[in-house]
Amino acid sequence: MLTLFRDIFSPPRHMILLVAAAWIGLSLAEKRAERYGVSKEDLNNAIFNSLIALVAGGRIFFVLQNLSAFSKSPFGIFSINPDLFDPIGGLAAAIVLALVYGQRRGLKFWSTLDALTPFFSILTVGIGLSHFAAGTSFGKETDLPFGIELWNATRHPTQIYETLAAFLTFGLIWLRKENPASGILFLTFAALTAFSQIVIQSFRADIALISNGSIQGQITAWLVLLICFILFEFRFKQAQRGE
Amino acid sequence: MNKIKRIIFYIFVLTISAGWIVFSADPTHASVKNTSAPQTGFSAPDFTLQSIDGKTYTLSELKGSAVLLNLWATWCPPCRAEMPAIEKMYGEYKDQGLIVLAVDMTYQDDPGAVAPFMQKYNLTFPILLDEKALVGSAYQLRSLPSSYFINRAGIINEVIIGGPMAEALLRTRIEQILK
Repeated sequence: MLTLFRDIFSPPRHMILLVAAAWIGLSLAEKRAERYGVSKEDLNNAIFNSLIALVAGGRIFFVLQNLSAFSKSPFGIFSINPDLFDPIGGLAAAIVLALVYGQRRGLKFWSTLDALTPFFSILTVGIGLSHFAAGTSFGKETDLPFGIELWNATRHPTQIYETLAAFLTFGLIWLRKENPASGILFLTFAALTAFSQIVIQSFRADIALISNGSIQGQITAWLVLLICFILFEFRFKQAQRGE
Repeated sequence: MNKIKRIIFYIFVLTISAGWIVFSADPTHASVKNTSAPQTGFSAPDFTLQSIDGKTYTLSELKGSAVLLNLWATWCPPCRAEMPAIEKMYGEYKDQGLIVLAVDMTYQDDPGAVAPFMQKYNLTFPILLDEKALVGSAYQLRSLPSSYFINRAGIINEVIIGGPMAEALLRTRIEQILK
C-alpha cells in the first residue's frame, strides 16, 4: 500500500498533497475562525495573499541569488518550473505580506495566528506525506520490523513518523476546548511541532550536522521550543493584565 | 497549571530535549555519500551503456567531470521540449568539464526513432540506449524526464523530476556541479 501511494504521488505529483493539505487546512480554519474573532473573509484573504507572496517572493529571491544565470536566460523568470524557487525567501515574503495585510485590516496578531493554526497544522501533515511520496527527508538504516525499503536500504520511516506526529498535533489542537489566552493555541502547535522535530531528526539520514556531530535541525527546533515557552509566559502575563 | 508548575514543566521539557540532542549527536555520522542511490546526497548509481554511435560509457569513469544525466524517451513531450535547452547548455559548459549523458529509455521507446530525433534537434552530446532497463531500474525511474546533476565527486547534487527544465534552471544547477 505504501508503495502504491509512492507510485501514485511520485514527483512531481507529490505537490498535489501539499495543495490538498492547504485546501483542507483552510476549510478547517474557516470553520473555527469566528471563535477567535477573525472573519472567514479576512482569513481567506490573508492566506490567499500570502500564498501569492510565497510563490512570487520565492521566485524573486531565487532570481536575485542567481542573477548571472537569469541575465543570460531572462525569460526563465517566468518559467513554470517549481524548482526555480527559494523557500526561505518565499516564506519571508509571505510573512511580511500577512503582517501588512493584518495591520491594514486591523487584525489581532495572536488571535489571527490561533485562527490560522488548523491551516498550519494540516499543512504539516501534507508536508510529511509529500516527503514520503518524494522519498525526501529519509531515515537512517534500521533493522526494525517497520523499516521501509527506500534508496537501496531498509530505513526508519521518518516521513511516516513526521506525518503521524503532525496528525497527533492537529488532533490535540483541534480537540482543545479552551484557549486560556490568545496565541496559546498557535504556540502549542509550534511547541509540539518543534518537540517532534527534535525527536524525529535523530532518525533522519539526510541531515546537516554541526562541528560536534549535533544535528542542526534539532538545535533550531530546541531554540524554537525555548522561544515558545517564553512567549507562553508572555501571553499568560498579558492575559492576566487583560490585554 | 500555575506559573511555578509551568516553569518546572518548561525546564523539564527543555532539559529532556537537550539531553536527547546530546544523546543523538553522531560525530562519526556515516554519510550517505558512500552509498549509491538515485537521490540527492548519495553517490550516483553506476552503469555502463553503449551510445547510439557504439561508444561505451561508464558513469564511474567520468569522476572529475560534472555530469548531467537525463533520462528521456522520444515519445515524451516534456523530454522533447527540454532537449534544445540541454544542447545549448552543453555547448556553453562542455569546456568547463560538463558531460551530458542523455539515456533513452529504449526498453519503452522505439529504437528506430532515436537517430532521427538526434538529427532533428541537432544533438551533439552522447545519447545512450537503455535497452534492458539497467538505468531505468538503478535510478528507480517513475517519471520522464528525470534529470540528475552529478558533481565532480560522483555525488548527486540535485534531482529534477519532470520537465521541461528551463534554461535558467539548467544553468543554476550546472554551475553548482561545476564548482
